[in-house]
Amino acid sequence: MKNNHLKSFLSSICIGLLSVAFYACSSSDGNNSNSFDRALMLQNYAEKMIIPAYANFQTQVNALQTANSTFQTTPNSANLANLQTAWLNAATAWQSANAFNFGPAGEQGLTKNLNEEIATFPVNTARIEFFISNNDVSFNNFERDTRGLMAVEYLLYESTQGVLSSANKRNYLNALIQQIKTRTDAVVTAWATYKSVFIANTGTDIGSSTSALYNEFVKSYENLKNFKVSLPLGKRAGQTQTEPTKVEAYYSARSFVLMKAHFTALENLWNASYGFRSYLENATGGADLVKNTTAQITAVKNVLNAIDNNSSFSQIIQNNPASLESLYVEMQKLTRFFKSDMSSILGIAITYDSGDGD
Amino acid sequence: MIVAMAISTFIRFLLQPTSIAPLAVFRIVFGALMFFSTARFMAYNWVEEHFVKPIFHFKYFGFYWVEVLPAWAMYGLHWLMLLSALGILLGCFYRVSSILFFICFTYTELIDLTYYLNHYYFVSIVAALMCTLPAHAAYSLDAFWQKKSYTEVPFWTIGVLKLQLGIVYFYAGIAKINEDWLFEALPLRIWLPAHTDMWILGYFFQFVWVAYLFSWVGMLYDVFIPFLLNYKPTRWVAYMAVVIFHALTGLLFPIGVFPIVMIFSTLIFFSSTFHERLLHYLPTRFFGTNSSQNALKMPSWLLIIFCLHFSFQLLFPFRYLLYPNNNLFWTEEGYRFSWRVMLMEKAGNATFYVKDGCTGREGVVVNSDFLNLHQEKQMAMQPDMILQYAHFLAKHYAAQGICNPKVRAEVYVTLNGRVSKLLIDPHIDLTQLQDGWEAKKWLLPPP
Repeated sequence: MKNNHLKSFLSSICIGLLSVAFYACSSSDGNNSNSFDRALMLQNYAEKMIIPAYANFQTQVNALQTANSTFQTTPNSANLANLQTAWLNAATAWQSANAFNFGPAGEQGLTKNLNEEIATFPVNTARIEFFISNNDVSFNNFERDTRGLMAVEYLLYESTQGVLSSANKRNYLNALIQQIKTRTDAVVTAWATYKSVFIANTGTDIGSSTSALYNEFVKSYENLKNFKVSLPLGKRAGQTQTEPTKVEAYYSARSFVLMKAHFTALENLWNASYGFRSYLENATGGADLVKNTTAQITAVKNVLNAIDNNSSFSQIIQNNPASLESLYVEMQKLTRFFKSDMSSILGIAITYDSGDGD
Repeated sequence: MIVAMAISTFIRFLLQPTSIAPLAVFRIVFGALMFFSTARFMAYNWVEEHFVKPIFHFKYFGFYWVEVLPAWAMYGLHWLMLLSALGILLGCFYRVSSILFFICFTYTELIDLTYYLNHYYFVSIVAALMCTLPAHAAYSLDAFWQKKSYTEVPFWTIGVLKLQLGIVYFYAGIAKINEDWLFEALPLRIWLPAHTDMWILGYFFQFVWVAYLFSWVGMLYDVFIPFLLNYKPTRWVAYMAVVIFHALTGLLFPIGVFPIVMIFSTLIFFSSTFHERLLHYLPTRFFGTNSSQNALKMPSWLLIIFCLHFSFQLLFPFRYLLYPNNNLFWTEEGYRFSWRVMLMEKAGNATFYVKDGCTGREGVVVNSDFLNLHQEKQMAMQPDMILQYAHFLAKHYAAQGICNPKVRAEVYVTLNGRVSKLLIDPHIDLTQLQDGWEAKKWLLPPP
């Protein structure tokens, strides 16, 4: 190959490329650019969703604490009822904040993520009773199933006489609520400075804000499906029967109130203005996925809304098991839209090491 | 007659003595890269994450007997790998070092299929080649101690490395000649917009024409680069392209040390004088050659081995053609070991159901109970892994007391951003199927 042969070879490559580029531009389907401002999306999530969700939860935790002080001073059934209401408000508010377990709410050293620290269920009642009988409120252990909102629930609802008659129980209750408040306040305070870090980290790799937000969103949905529906329903491999005691909020029988709040929170997260949904609409193949996801969200909601809020999980298992079956089935159908399909289209990293085969 | 003459000319060409310098530089570079790569692997705590923590490991077909060793041995093995990489670099007990490195490296790769990477396969092959090559015959501690070094080696000892590299590029290039890659700019039009935050270049990644440009340039680059590197007038321009191409892919994709490995390996294409100049920077006290001109002879049976190796290399990637109506990207029958690198965006969601054969009660499996995120992600879109995992689940739950477990899976796979679709019949009992070379008839057609 002489030098001018080489030149003509290289220039023919260039001409080829230019014509391909021209072809790509002219034959476009009106979607010439995937311009999406991830920084703006992150800012929206931080300002319009995450920070308000935490602020609202903090307000409810403060109200819980106030109701608790009143109850501690005057432990009567009227104050207990008020405290129960305050608990339900806090637990409901938590459903809107339980999907943001990264940054200040993420796992740090020995501290697990905020959801595990303050909302683990089912609680270990034997261990709670053990600590109460020893009047041990040190929380000097890693038994997260003896603390948090669901331990509070156990004490408030296990029997009408429990906290009213036992000073040890009231003491434990007091310590539980104080610990929830400490953890919550710490995260709320940290978000004030973390916000700018969150918005500035605009990549899609592991460690980026988009990846953290997305992965925790998926995890929250999996928790809802696996632990609030599938496990108590006895759907897990190896289970031989339903286990309604393992549901969230078993003692208060408010499981469906919280479940609906949880699902609505996730729906809002996905649907947020200039959020994941808009992100998908701007991506190649995203339009179909948005259509399918929207339809499936409606399907889940239809089943969910048909279930009576005031029934306990066990009652529904008894009276209308088919509704729970179809709830599980519809949730299962939604999983792939949230999980593999969405991360694939958006190019969001879900693990550190990626195969080069995909 | 003409054929015989051609063959003898070819053999003379292969045996022609040439400077050992490129081979010695390659040894040093390869040793250094492997040292760095192993150290990086250990520093990221991946020995723990990949080999110690997982409950279940996916086996390679034909290598079901490979078992993971206890934690202390896995760590020991990695230290040994570091040491042997150093041995390669210095040319110190080179034969032992190179064989040790090959065995350790290949063993760790064979433990779990979900960690399969084409570039690990490439490293395994090069490590095997290096075991047979006289890369320590000069500029090495072995040569220094034995006071005996060679200035020339048969041409083929360098040629095999060039050929191997050439095959990697060329095959990666022709794999890109498919409709999605060239005419839809897929998967690049999915991948590039995810990197719009990249410094300066990121701005362009939002445009679809850039994805087309990258797709075509990438294909042409892979197909032509081995020839352009081999041809002296284009060599420097081609090498610049190598550096830019791999630097860019390294920035865009989480592919670890692969870009550096390729940037440094391709130095082998440069002339002997270039490499001799490089070697002048070595401390001559230890690594200098003695001045006597002598050419190393190699046993000729090695040539036959290499012929077999390269026949395999050239033919094996085309095995996918033997499967009737094979949609390679969907079924992945014949996908691996073929230099199909960063070729498609594929992801799956696999839900497994275990049924008690006696009571008929069926339960759903939570994959994270058994697999780490990476294993689950890889398994969920690759049929042979899905089958292996199903067999594992059957065994696991049988031990848990489920009688005659039947395992079925609902696997939805999305390929290059298309709407996800069932990969296998969700009613089929996977425990009744075995993996093998034959076509997987139980897979559903692609979208």
